[in-house]
Amino acid sequence: MDRAREEPRGRRAVSIAAPLLEVTGLSKRFGGLLAVSGLDLSVRAGEIVGLIGPNGAGKTTAFHLMGGFLPPTSGDVRFKGESMIGLKPHAICRRGLARTFQIVQPFAGLTALENAMIGAFNRAPDVGRARERAGEVLDFVGLGAKRATPARSLTLPDRKRLEVARGLATGPDLLLLDEVMSGLNPTEIEETIGLIRRIAERGVTLLIIEHVMRAIMALSDRLVVLHHGEKIADGAPTAVAADPRVIEAYLGGAGAPA
Amino acid sequence: MKVLGLVALAAAVAVPPYLPKYFLEVLIAILFWAYLGAAWNILGGYAGQFSFGHAAFFGLGAYTSTLLFLRAGVSPWLGMLAGAGVAALFGLGVGFLSFRYGLRGPYFSLVTLAFAEMLRVIAVNWKAVGSSLGLVVPSKGSAPALFVFADKLPYYYVILAMTLGALALTWSIERARLGYALVAVRENEDAAEAAGLDTLGVKLRGMVISSALTAFGGTFYAQYYAYIDPSLTFGVSVSIEGLLRAIVGGAGTVWGPLLGSFVLTPISELARAALRGRAGADVMLYGLLLILVISFLPQGLMGWIARVRSRAAAAP
Repeated sequence: MDRAREEPRGRRAVSIAAPLLEVTGLSKRFGGLLAVSGLDLSVRAGEIVGLIGPNGAGKTTAFHLMGGFLPPTSGDVRFKGESMIGLKPHAICRRGLARTFQIVQPFAGLTALENAMIGAFNRAPDVGRARERAGEVLDFVGLGAKRATPARSLTLPDRKRLEVARGLATGPDLLLLDEVMSGLNPTEIEETIGLIRRIAERGVTLLIIEHVMRAIMALSDRLVVLHHGEKIADGAPTAVAADPRVIEAYLGGAGAPA
Repeated sequence: MKVLGLVALAAAVAVPPYLPKYFLEVLIAILFWAYLGAAWNILGGYAGQFSFGHAAFFGLGAYTSTLLFLRAGVSPWLGMLAGAGVAALFGLGVGFLSFRYGLRGPYFSLVTLAFAEMLRVIAVNWKAVGSSLGLVVPSKGSAPALFVFADKLPYYYVILAMTLGALALTWSIERARLGYALVAVRENEDAAEAAGLDTLGVKLRGMVISSALTAFGGTFYAQYYAYIDPSLTFGVSVSIEGLLRAIVGGAGTVWGPLLGSFVLTPISELARAALRGRAGADVMLYGLLLILVISFLPQGLMGWIARVRSRAAAAP
């Protein structure tokens, strides 16, 4: 599938204009806990941005807010210049902002192909086209041979791939990947790094939460670091990794990155 | 399989004129409950929204067509459509209230049950709709244009056509985008929403189709038995008997409700006949059977057939 031709998106042209995603002053309070606090974040078309931080830093909550799964306490999320606040997740997905779940959420009783088809319906109106598109996406993520396997019988690495496939099948301009490498072995991590690069080559902009440091350093054009819900660093991976605040907060003096 | 299906269909059309009256009545009961199971199945089986209150739609269908017939002389054939419209609107209202406020699983079941009970209580206390005495549907002689037939056979063909129609509709939904969407909602609602499905809209569509079909069943009941009252139509047993066909046969499958009804309906008829005079014994036997089926065949008979088949295919 030649997506560049199917959906021209002109990465360069867009990147000169307004950012694809612009988050301003985003906060989420759960009772006494400020899970995300005044987060400012922008992602330009064509970028791969890594979102990192210790456990409980508010990364997944930030994804929930951007995807419409939780209403923010304050702040704004603008995608392609339009506010996403108050929109339901499916409406946000329809506009080209898709996500994966940290804890994989397959349609357990459906086959891999059917899982991807549910995503493909977002852009493909009829069953035949959706099936075709889903098949292509499964081939792309390396699940082509398992298209007829029920999702509940897939191994964890395959379920992670399926999660990515379903997100990709929706035809996103921006894909939020939430820890798609957790629980994978080193070989599988290498494969996933390759997969993410190929997704970016297709013209999909990526915002990635990841704990696997080696992978996130290799992939990201830019790193954003969250700590206690606040952004403490934003910049080139090497600069961020050398930032004393990041080392203090993120590594907590526990030694070198894993 | 196809040949078998065609033979069964030919037999279903050609044999009944030669059957004794009792057998014909049992066949009508089998198809009637299969039909209600199929109507429930679209929302309950495919979308996984377990309504315990489909009697609401059944009763609305029965009362709407009967009242239009009695008070305005409207043919029940037309009243049937009006009943379906009323039931679909009611379903849309109940669905919107429950789904909009995020009621899932047992909470949704209880809300639907409550709405059906509410309608029953209203019907019991409302003189204009016959209160608890119910309504008698004129049924003397034969008037095909008014959905009144002199003997059972035409009713059999009507319910046969309705059941085949409901199954055909289920079959085509299963293969359409809507079918995939309903199943996605059942399997994982959050993931469905994340994949771009308007889950509220999908559930409401399932609700409307399911409630309108159920209302048609209500009109059939009113014409066939020529009498309706609040507990017969809005009572809990209508809801439960219908969904049991689908669950025992295999919820979320095209043929499940038909298969379930072919198994359950004769058992319930036989139990009632065999244990006559011991009040409640037939219900207990029936309950025991259900416990066994649900414990040992959680996917229903269709799930069991699929397992046996895949085992046979795997064997050399």
